[in-house]
Amino acid sequence: MLLTRRKLAHGTRVIVVAVVMVWAGRTPAWAQAASDPNPGNLTIAAGVDFLNAYLFRGIPQDDTGVITWPYGDLGIALHSGDGIVKSIGVNVGLWNSLHTGAAGSDGPSRKLWYESDFYSTFGLGFGNGVSFGVTYTAYTSPNGSFNTVREASFKFALDDSVSLRRLSSKPYVIVARELDGQADGGTEEGTYLELGAAPGFPVAGVTINVPLRAGFSLGDYYEGVTGDERFGFFSVAGIVTVPLSSMPTRAGSWNIHGGVEYVRLGDRNAEILGDTSKVIGSIGIGLSY
Amino acid sequence: MFVTNGVRRSALAVVAAVGVMVVISAPALAQEAAKDPNPGAMTVTGSLDFLNQYMFRGIRQNSTGIAIWPAIDLGLAAFSGEGGLKSASINFGTWNSLHTGDTGQDGPSGKLWYESDFYAALGFGFGGGTSFTTTYTAYTSPNNGFTTVKEIMFKLGVDDSGKLGKAAVKPYIAIAQEFDTDIARGQADGGENAGTYLELGIAPGYAAPKASIAFPIKVGMSLSNYYELAGEDNKFGFFSIAGIATIPLGGTTNFGSWNIHGGVEYQRLGDTTAAFNLDDDGLPKKNQVIGSIGFGFSY
Repeated sequence: MLLTRRKLAHGTRVIVVAVVMVWAGRTPAWAQAASDPNPGNLTIAAGVDFLNAYLFRGIPQDDTGVITWPYGDLGIALHSGDGIVKSIGVNVGLWNSLHTGAAGSDGPSRKLWYESDFYSTFGLGFGNGVSFGVTYTAYTSPNGSFNTVREASFKFALDDSVSLRRLSSKPYVIVARELDGQADGGTEEGTYLELGAAPGFPVAGVTINVPLRAGFSLGDYYEGVTGDERFGFFSVAGIVTVPLSSMPTRAGSWNIHGGVEYVRLGDRNAEILGDTSKVIGSIGIGLSY
Repeated sequence: MFVTNGVRRSALAVVAAVGVMVVISAPALAQEAAKDPNPGAMTVTGSLDFLNQYMFRGIRQNSTGIAIWPAIDLGLAAFSGEGGLKSASINFGTWNSLHTGDTGQDGPSGKLWYESDFYAALGFGFGGGTSFTTTYTAYTSPNNGFTTVKEIMFKLGVDDSGKLGKAAVKPYIAIAQEFDTDIARGQADGGENAGTYLELGIAPGYAAPKASIAFPIKVGMSLSNYYELAGEDNKFGFFSIAGIATIPLGGTTNFGSWNIHGGVEYQRLGDTTAAFNLDDDGLPKKNQVIGSIGFGFSY
């Protein structure tokens, strides 16, 4: 068993994607699709994923039982225009991790709900696919497995799909600063750096993404017995997203997605896990409206 | 102080909708939506309310500080038709209560987040404004103020505004059953046995272009073990009457409809709920007044 009383939060959970409706056929209300069902300024993204292990930025959380990630996001498009700032948006959302294993219902608390995160993001979009976002996240543990971690993160990303099309890699940089509480359970609040890319391409009606990322400590993020370790983890994944219909429906666009992620850990995280690497499998459904 | 392990959620409700918010100047905000911004089958409603007191079905949840209620709901119109069954819908949502006082930040846990509820509801609409809804709710307490309560509720309501117009009272009856309980665990009253709750209510109201006002009246009773006190189940839980005004913040825009709302609620408590509502001298208090203000949106 790893981690009873850890902390951390959110993480690998990425790559939701979207696309296409569910409940094929059925009732009239679903079936009517036609035009955009939601032309307004609010958007919804939601999903539920099932995994065999949860590592938060390389920090082991649980690899026993089944881990379920329900999440929902409300996006508000505040501005769109042709100036330097092409778009302004705000997102608020909840992300949760439910564990049937040692960190959840089979653990000391006997409670399933290991983690609940609330976040809000203020995002700016510029020309050429450049974007910048500031996110505040409160990582909480309803079953008391870790103390609340509050964090501010800054993400700089480039969507190069317009210019490079299939060769695009969508690189990004994230710098996160813990404001209160710590993911590593160390002595000082840490600063985290993530470098990543998310190349993807459509194949025969499905989308394949191959996200790559590496996590580092810029200061006290991966504290261990020998001090702060710079390298936290490297990960590569392959994720297939299958739309459940070819066109958005009145209930939005639904998909099923699944994949495998390989995570190589730094010494500090490997010591907690008891291994230098971990393979994580996941499957889930997603909604975009 | 009471509550340490015992209770949960809402009473007030009445979020309403209507009217835009965010009086910013950005072009996207300013674009008045001549058309429905969301003609699809999904809807989002949300609200944020501030109260001086949180009473869950008459059971007091905090003694000091304020309660803050952020809530969001995702609704899915699954079916609509002209037969006996007019509509079917599914709703998911989360409702939360953040406390600054004795059961939250100023309490033993030092944590603000007193309650977080998840619910899923399946609703059917029939002719004549009749509706029947089944709701599963898990009432949880992130700061361990109480043990998780699981409940299934059945609600039968009639929207008689089509027949009675302004004289409509919108009566309803709701029956809720707690399950997966143990002694002092998983129960609103912290009692020995799982309870069955009955609520009868009406919600008359009047709407004008610039504001609407509602006067919800309800009575909460125990059908079985819902208001236990020292081994005795007291049938009468509470009576409540409120006045709530809702002011739209504009028309329907690309951001939906926003409003501000506020009101006052009076509750008359039964023996069990009064025993949970002690005054400064430690005596049961039968009367409770609740003030609230907040904003809501519907998209």
